[in-house]
Amino acid sequence: MITTPNKLVNVKRTKDSPVKSSLFKQSIRKLSKNKLAVSGFVVVIFMFVACFIGPLFSPYTDNKINMAMMNKAPHLKHWLGTDALGRDVLTRVLQAGRISLTVGLASMMLSVFIGSLLGALAGYYRGIVDQIIMRIADLLLTIPSLPLLFIFGALLSEWKIPTDYRMYIVMLMLSFVGWPGLARMVRGQMLSLREREFMQAAVVLGLRDRRKLFNHLLPNIVPLLIVIATLNIGGSILSESVLSFFGLGVMPPTPTWGNMIDAANNMIDFQERPWLWIPPGFSIFATVIAINIFGDGLRDVLDPKQKR
Amino acid sequence: MSTYLSKRLIYMFVILFAASLLIFCLYALTPGDFISGNIKLSPERKAELRDIYGLNKPLLERYGIWMSNAFRGDFGFSLAQQKPVLQLFNEYIWNSFLLAVVSTFLTWVIAVIVGVISAYKQYSWFDTLVMVAIFAAMSIPSFFIGLFLIKILAVDLKWLPPGGMLTTGSNATGIAYLKEVIHHMTLPVIVMTLLGVGSLTRYFRSNMIDVIKQDYIRTARAKGLTERKVLFTHALRNALLPAITLVGFELPALFGGSLIIEKIFNWPGIGQLYMQSFGLRDYPLLMGFTMFIAILTVLGTLISDILYHVADPRVRLQ
Amino acid sequence: MKRGIFLLTSLLIASSLLVSACSNNNSSSNSASNTKSTTVPATTTQETPASTVVGLTEPFTATDLSKLPAVAQKRTDTIIVGLTDPSGAFTPYFQQSGYDGNVSSLLYASLINVDDKGLPVPELAESWDISDDALTYTFHLKSDLKFSDGSPLTADDVAFTWTILHDKAYDGDSQVLTLNVVGGAAYKAGTATTITGIKVTDPKTISVTLEKPNATALVTLGSNVLSKAYYGKDYKFGQLDYIKKLHEKPVGNGPYTLEKFIPGQEVRFVANEYYYKGKPATEHFIYKTTEGDVWQFVETGEVDYASFSATQENIDKLKGLGYLNVIPYTPSSYGYLQANLEHEQLKDKAVRQAITYGLDRKSIYVDASQGAGSVANIPASPISWSYTEEGINPYNYDPEKAKELLDGAGWTVGAGGIREKDGKPLSIHFLGSKSKNTDIFIAVAKENFEALGIKFEPEVFADFNSLVSKVEGGDYDLVSFSTPMLTDPSDGLLQFLNGEIKGYDNPKFKELYDKGLATTDIEERKKIYTELYQLLNDELPVIFTSYKKTVYAYNGRIENVTVSPFIGLAGSLPNWSLK
Repeated sequence: MITTPNKLVNVKRTKDSPVKSSLFKQSIRKLSKNKLAVSGFVVVIFMFVACFIGPLFSPYTDNKINMAMMNKAPHLKHWLGTDALGRDVLTRVLQAGRISLTVGLASMMLSVFIGSLLGALAGYYRGIVDQIIMRIADLLLTIPSLPLLFIFGALLSEWKIPTDYRMYIVMLMLSFVGWPGLARMVRGQMLSLREREFMQAAVVLGLRDRRKLFNHLLPNIVPLLIVIATLNIGGSILSESVLSFFGLGVMPPTPTWGNMIDAANNMIDFQERPWLWIPPGFSIFATVIAINIFGDGLRDVLDPKQKR
Repeated sequence: MSTYLSKRLIYMFVILFAASLLIFCLYALTPGDFISGNIKLSPERKAELRDIYGLNKPLLERYGIWMSNAFRGDFGFSLAQQKPVLQLFNEYIWNSFLLAVVSTFLTWVIAVIVGVISAYKQYSWFDTLVMVAIFAAMSIPSFFIGLFLIKILAVDLKWLPPGGMLTTGSNATGIAYLKEVIHHMTLPVIVMTLLGVGSLTRYFRSNMIDVIKQDYIRTARAKGLTERKVLFTHALRNALLPAITLVGFELPALFGGSLIIEKIFNWPGIGQLYMQSFGLRDYPLLMGFTMFIAILTVLGTLISDILYHVADPRVRLQ
Repeated sequence: MKRGIFLLTSLLIASSLLVSACSNNNSSSNSASNTKSTTVPATTTQETPASTVVGLTEPFTATDLSKLPAVAQKRTDTIIVGLTDPSGAFTPYFQQSGYDGNVSSLLYASLINVDDKGLPVPELAESWDISDDALTYTFHLKSDLKFSDGSPLTADDVAFTWTILHDKAYDGDSQVLTLNVVGGAAYKAGTATTITGIKVTDPKTISVTLEKPNATALVTLGSNVLSKAYYGKDYKFGQLDYIKKLHEKPVGNGPYTLEKFIPGQEVRFVANEYYYKGKPATEHFIYKTTEGDVWQFVETGEVDYASFSATQENIDKLKGLGYLNVIPYTPSSYGYLQANLEHEQLKDKAVRQAITYGLDRKSIYVDASQGAGSVANIPASPISWSYTEEGINPYNYDPEKAKELLDGAGWTVGAGGIREKDGKPLSIHFLGSKSKNTDIFIAVAKENFEALGIKFEPEVFADFNSLVSKVEGGDYDLVSFSTPMLTDPSDGLLQFLNGEIKGYDNPKFKELYDKGLATTDIEERKKIYTELYQLLNDELPVIFTSYKKTVYAYNGRIENVTVSPFIGLAGSLPNWSLK
């Protein structure tokens, strides 16, 4: 059975090192031809621009409470209506995006980085490295997250870390304990890849570990990582609201998409006031879908097995 | 294989032992205890009660007591519910298990079918539609889907009951009882399936895309096999193999209960009970349940490692 | 893949469930609702302004019973009420959750109950005498009282009940222990085999002597009675574990007996033919476990009775359904901000007063919660017999006055607009439990405090236990709390006395508190409490915030429903009947 990766290795080997930059350019060129992926990218950029610059044009940035304007449906002065305290929903959605986008992307990248690094190491070196990493992973998988969060919360509160920063620290800590799932997956992929013919060829050629790992194995798992990462972006944006819920996230009145959508967690708001939950809900949806479409395009370009 | 197994089993016990100590400490370190939440008690009475429950003993001693009791099969009484922990598990876990088993089964069936079709018709309108639906389901919080379906199907159309597991006050038995439970579990199962099916479908789709591009599929087609046969015997089997390893990971999830779903649909499951007990710091129950899940998790990883070997014999067990 | 790689993602599931842990109140109430406008805005919107009458002042009667869902139409001898989460520990005094208390309040009758004003009325006890020194209480039982198994209820059962509460292994939270019954401590220590202060004169008469007078003793002692024959069969001093096995098989003396308990789903009751007032009018009663939103069950007719936060929107919607009767209700509790009196800035009464003036409590508790609350200024609910507004400062929102007070207290505006004294900035570290109402509070308080030149640092906790342990550690300035249901006015004052509010030590208060408990004459106690409230209203050891307002909605077919602020629906339930 001759697999495509095998051929790829050959191609790569003949072109050797100067290929790097042109490969990158080549990828960009390929990517720019994929209209769907480009449009996904444009939407993501648009979300960022809107959230980071948009609020500057709003007259309601101070988030002032206005009891006379509670829960108004969208109208000319408030394009997306107002919330329970008379604050402008549009402004809040945009401000919320700043935190949600940053947190969502950052935590996703961090987790993927830690998980894939450890998984790759375990799968590549096997033996004692694998044993240590995987047994730690097993142990971490058994740890319940709830008490962990509360202990983090208590510690951060004890150490008087300003509430604005707590969320980032908690995200960081969670990435440090949340890697086992992804690590296992990457390790599995590695185990199977390193037995493939193209890797045997690499061994025969006497390539160094680093080169085998980074030039030959990692490119093969990048597509998987991209799929996982983009799939989880929605979850990690929403996860911010969970942290806020536990008092570890942003403090009110600072808005995030997650806590805005959570505010509609009852029948009455749900039925009577769609303008409270549609804007943040749609923002998450649009971001998630755009990032995923872009991720798909990226995957196609970077996947050595795909020839389109 | 057998040396591998015995080695893994020994590791398993070491890990579980370490986990139990770690988990015990975690719960003990969580701020507040069972007594502190009761604001009706005077400080003296609180001290008295901590003495009765042994909460004022040193951490390691408490762990020792718990461990030695656990070895004798005694997981203690829930402080809040005043019942043996094992009895409580028996009362709640099976309800959660029922939901999980049915929805997991449905999730896999749907994910495989939809994943295969959308991989085969990559970039078609069907594929795009599926993708949009998946992302929609994934970017919406679960309480939201739950509320929405309750509103439509239970409150407005009155097709399905809004929650619970039985019709209140019903004395149905046998087939009638079964029908009632099925009627009540429909909504939660729909929501759980919706929530789970997205990522799994994506997974199968991308596996399938990989497989379809492989040479042996081209060979199969070249042999003149029908497209259906190529797809469902050759391609699907190979696409499914890596997924087998996921089965082991489902194990703890089957028994762990789902917090939000159980809450929204008033399902008498273990997830809700755990959450409540956590709020109350009901240590015996928390400890018992977490260890139960820990055992399943470790077992699950072992199973998935073995299955991995079965799925891909090139991967050596060590 | 399906399991997700992020620990966080899986945690999503955990959202919004911890709240249940801290609410120990009656049945399920839909407290989280912030809603429609109460004032007419200047700009025109498609939203119609809310009706001019805010809230519900009069009971509302169902307008169209034909709209009642078919499920509810079909029930002829069963009433279903939602209850958050009974756990199965149905023995009074031994339960750890208030929800179990709701169940046992139907299974067990009390010697003495309280009426709508919180005043004692006879139940199993026909009458009672209190000695002139207010130390000895004698209860005279009604004749022919029976337990649900048909066995007779006598003074021995009462004596047994009081006795096991003094067992050293007793781990419940009964207040009987705080009464200091003569000989109680000796029994607990194991040096006496009986409690000398408890005397059974004859099968219908029992008396108890206390070491010091306590006006709450009558109601506290006059609670549920356990059967000695049933619960005392295996009793040995220091050994109470056997009772756990009896929790799910209660033998009571209340209007209903337990038919079946399905964990996490239902508690089924059937009418008790031995009930002293006669068998209840409706044969079956069910507590259905309902967590969170109860709207869906009310709208589908799955429950007959539910409580809601009294927002205009809830009220309008309930009325709109047509088949519900709606009655207004004010719980007998109050909300407050506990101030850390050990911190320099809050030690000063003037600062606490300034904060009270400078906090727009009306906006937070009345407007933003859309009429489902009112502003509190004393530690007693408006429905208590001791409630008064006489000589009480309402602390209406007045930022100018607040600034004046702060200036007077030596806190002057420094750099960056934050007030300082001796180089220390004036900051308030606030703790609250995670809820919609806390979010509202923080949003408004932040604006209010910043306007006064106070730095506001909020911190929110998802579970009550974490919050309490943070408070116990003393690392806070203000923390938001609400009292449990209060029966006697002294219940609401206890926290100022027993050291719960650290740093509050006022001899005048202690004197008045003891005086208030030393007599059982209501008129006299009223006077004492008025004085006490005036004192606390001026000193503000805590900042009083709000009273909640709720409404009860129930199936229009049910007759004879009244809800007591102190004992909930248990009082009138035996009379409920379906028409």
